[in-house]
Amino acid sequence: MTGAENADRSSFVLLQVGERRFALPSEIVDELAPPVRLHTFPHTSALVAGVIVRRGHIVPVYDVAPTLLGKESPAHRFYLIAQRTFDKSGEASAIPLNGECELATAEVQPPGEGRPAYISGTLEIGEETVELLNFEALVTHQSDEPADASHPGTQS
Amino acid sequence: MKIASQDAGKSRRARRSEPVILFSVAHQMFAVSADSVQEIRSTDSMAGAANEIAQPLLAKVHHTIERAHRKYYVVNACTHFNLPVTRPTLVLILRQLRVAVLVDKIERMAEINAVYALPRAFIGDERRWYRGLAHVADNVIPVIEPTGFLTREEFLALDRVTKAAESQREMEGAVQA
Repeated sequence: MTGAENADRSSFVLLQVGERRFALPSEIVDELAPPVRLHTFPHTSALVAGVIVRRGHIVPVYDVAPTLLGKESPAHRFYLIAQRTFDKSGEASAIPLNGECELATAEVQPPGEGRPAYISGTLEIGEETVELLNFEALVTHQSDEPADASHPGTQS
Repeated sequence: MKIASQDAGKSRRARRSEPVILFSVAHQMFAVSADSVQEIRSTDSMAGAANEIAQPLLAKVHHTIERAHRKYYVVNACTHFNLPVTRPTLVLILRQLRVAVLVDKIERMAEINAVYALPRAFIGDERRWYRGLAHVADNVIPVIEPTGFLTREEFLALDRVTKAAESQREMEGAVQA
């Protein structure tokens, strides 16, 4: 691959939620954390499952599986820590994952027709089509919007 | 230019510990500043001092209690935090606020070194309920904001209802006399 070709391709983290893989832009991803204890307390914020403590910081955990899969995902193996932007600053935020992550470079293709706002594009990774997530849109997705259970899947 | 010793001083001040009372409601632990609690009583001991609100405006407030010529609204913490309703055994009577809170039990006293801001991911009522979060042993526990139990509007509405009920009782008493 030439340098010019590389310039058009961006870097993404491929992550597994349930049985599906999604992608996030690598620049917003901090790290993959082990399955530390989830601390829960009463609140009314949709999608927020609780908090974890990571490197001495309190990090909110977003349960995105019901949005992405239309159901709860099985036991979590890792937390992906990504930066959510508020005004001009960021907040480390965690999403539970079911498998390890992979770094990939690919060209972003437009999302399929009628896909939810939190799907900002698709990536061709080998023979697999992986949907690219808009993290902000995902974690602010309203639960009264239709869940993404009907999507046929991304394995091609 | 910053002088290192000044920063160190600030750091030390910021680390000053705060005594808190750890209490539980429906198996959920909370912390409240010890300074904001005036008195802790058992619900049994308060039974005679409690007055039922005939037509409760708020699901979480069904009683008032009188302490030192002051009327306190009794807030059921289970209902306030949308937790499964339990049978509370203790009442935390708050200082400087006309609020008493029904809780299940006092776990223990603790010292916290810092109250961490609630992450901005939290956007609901919890921003009013909590001052923030604290590390206690290996737990992350919400630190109660005492003013979050009842809003100013809720106080005003409760005052109206209880005053009207008192007036009615006085009138009924006068008629009977």
